[in-house]
Amino acid sequence: MALATAGGPQIAIDGTRKVRGSLTQGRIRWMLLAIVLGFVVVGGRLVQLGMVETDTRIEGQARDVIQATRPPILDRNGAEMAVDIRVPSLYAEPRRIIDVDQAAESLLTVMPDLDPKWLRDRLTGDEGFVWIKRELTPAIEQRVMRLGIPGIDFITESKRFYPAGREASHVLGSVNVDNQGIAGIEMHMDRENVALLQELGLARGNALAPVSLSIDMRVQHVLHEQLVDAMERYQAIAAAGVILDIHTGEVLGMASLPDFDPNEPATALEKGSFNRITSGIFELGSTFKTVTLAGALDSSRVAITDQFDARYGVRFGRYTIDDFHGKHRILSLPEVYKYSSNIGTIRIMQQWGKDNFRAFLTELGFDKRVPFELPEMRDPVVPKEFSEVGAATASFGHGLSVSPLHMATAVSAFTNGGNYITPTLYHRSSEEAQSLYRPVISEQTSDAVRYLMRLNALEGSGSRMDDIAEGYRAGGKTGTAEKVVDGRYSSSKVLNIFASVFPLDNPRYAMVMMVDEPQRENPQSGTTAGWNAGEMTGRVIKRIAPMLGVAPDFSTAVDTNLVPPQLR
Amino acid sequence: MIKTLNAVLLVVCGLAFTGVYALKFAIQHEATQISRLESHISDQEAELSMLKADWAVLTQPGHIEPVVIRHQETLQLAEVEPEQFGRFTDLPMRPAKPDAHAMDALFQALEVGVDPIGALLEEID
Repeated sequence: MALATAGGPQIAIDGTRKVRGSLTQGRIRWMLLAIVLGFVVVGGRLVQLGMVETDTRIEGQARDVIQATRPPILDRNGAEMAVDIRVPSLYAEPRRIIDVDQAAESLLTVMPDLDPKWLRDRLTGDEGFVWIKRELTPAIEQRVMRLGIPGIDFITESKRFYPAGREASHVLGSVNVDNQGIAGIEMHMDRENVALLQELGLARGNALAPVSLSIDMRVQHVLHEQLVDAMERYQAIAAAGVILDIHTGEVLGMASLPDFDPNEPATALEKGSFNRITSGIFELGSTFKTVTLAGALDSSRVAITDQFDARYGVRFGRYTIDDFHGKHRILSLPEVYKYSSNIGTIRIMQQWGKDNFRAFLTELGFDKRVPFELPEMRDPVVPKEFSEVGAATASFGHGLSVSPLHMATAVSAFTNGGNYITPTLYHRSSEEAQSLYRPVISEQTSDAVRYLMRLNALEGSGSRMDDIAEGYRAGGKTGTAEKVVDGRYSSSKVLNIFASVFPLDNPRYAMVMMVDEPQRENPQSGTTAGWNAGEMTGRVIKRIAPMLGVAPDFSTAVDTNLVPPQLR
Repeated sequence: MIKTLNAVLLVVCGLAFTGVYALKFAIQHEATQISRLESHISDQEAELSMLKADWAVLTQPGHIEPVVIRHQETLQLAEVEPEQFGRFTDLPMRPAKPDAHAMDALFQALEVGVDPIGALLEEID
């Protein structure tokens, strides 16, 4: 062995066991590597899958938005005024369509009103989603499904439906095809909260809590029907009316003709179909005398027992203002109202003071829009300061324009005990309303105004109304405003208004009715407001009073109780 | 020893595979059923929304009024007049004491076979 160690290099020879062992270790290492690689691949794929965002949007809109619902709108008694219905809408996935011509041809057999060229263009291309036609009927859905065209399918959309059709169109407004409010209370709801809910994803197919309005559909129906009747009866170009609860300011009915069909939103754009109650401003004529007299009586300067000289017209430079049905004698204050004397009203306003008059208009909110939910509002036009002649004409409602809603809120305030309350389309309890009250006149003045309004119905221009609505103790003031044609007041084109309250012994409801450019109903009748706006008011009261729980009372004691103690 | 263990593990493996696949197919089946039910529910909801809208149309005053007018003559319907309303205060007061005398007379008459109220009713007819 010594020889071997001394010379030559050492040769190490591994045993077979050792050789096999290292080979196994190598294999194990390779296997481990392969397994780790395998896991890396699997993990990588997982991450990749996690990163993928599936595009569920439809032409840039989330699928949810299209199926978004709106809360149903109910009237004060729970009757549905607007509901959501689910309707199928047809869409195509052009990249999956095999034969465009054939698909287009078979679709046209079901829906012949589509334009063939437009449809072919629509189906050609590489898009993932295109609308073909939205809001179809289930019958058409069935027929299209039976065609069995690949790449054509339906999606269920929510569609707004208004069961009452035109009847409450100006209150409800309308929505567009994407279910967004574009007018009326629908638009207001969107501004308030529905849009937010939809954004947050809370308005998806789930039923939203219904919204209750202050409208009474029965009252609304009668109002609308009587306006339609008035349009025909008096050949008028427009008619409008609003009914308020004077204690809470809730609107029970509001309609304006010509109107539109909210189920076909395009009709809302027709000329002349604007809401005359809120977004129309008019010279309201003699109905304004109620405002002048209420304000004057509330000041200490004018008493209900005062007399006013109406013998001669009032001269302003070259102009003389005279009465329409002049009595030309000394008139007491109730007579000024009853005979609708312009001269008397000017004298009352002058005794009160024109600046006081102007300040009273501000107090009544005649300088700005009525705070109200509907987006369709217009600023009133009232001069900032009155000249002598300006104040004189304004005292009987000329030279300043406000909306009929302004008048309705003013009349409500005058008769509910003297508290201004903003009108609303939502429910409002009397406690809530009382916390919002802003006194504008005293309770005694309010009583005097009630007496004057009833007096005008018994003996003045409101008697035609009272004959029709006998027993319901209604009263009000007519206004026949001549329209300005080519810069002059025209006697043939008039706007007639009747502002009324009933029942006056315990007043509850205020109404302002308007008929635009009425003609004589028959040769014996006239064109002043008592003949049309007045009679229409009477017909409405007769129909709605029983619905609202106002019982008729024919006793004359009711009327004598209204007379202020100073006049008894 | 190790051979039997392997065999057992193989069998367990096979069983587990079968189990997992059975579960998978069962779940798939459930999922189809769920989606079928969901589409059924949504169909029914759509139908319900239509029926509700129908109901709202049919109960609308504007829908009922033409129906009333159409049957006005046969059913003798008319608008209510203010004179037709009564009040509780218009009703006569209840008599202070029941009229025992008249009641006795009535019962005696009935016993004999005369019915004064029936006669009144016949008269009205």
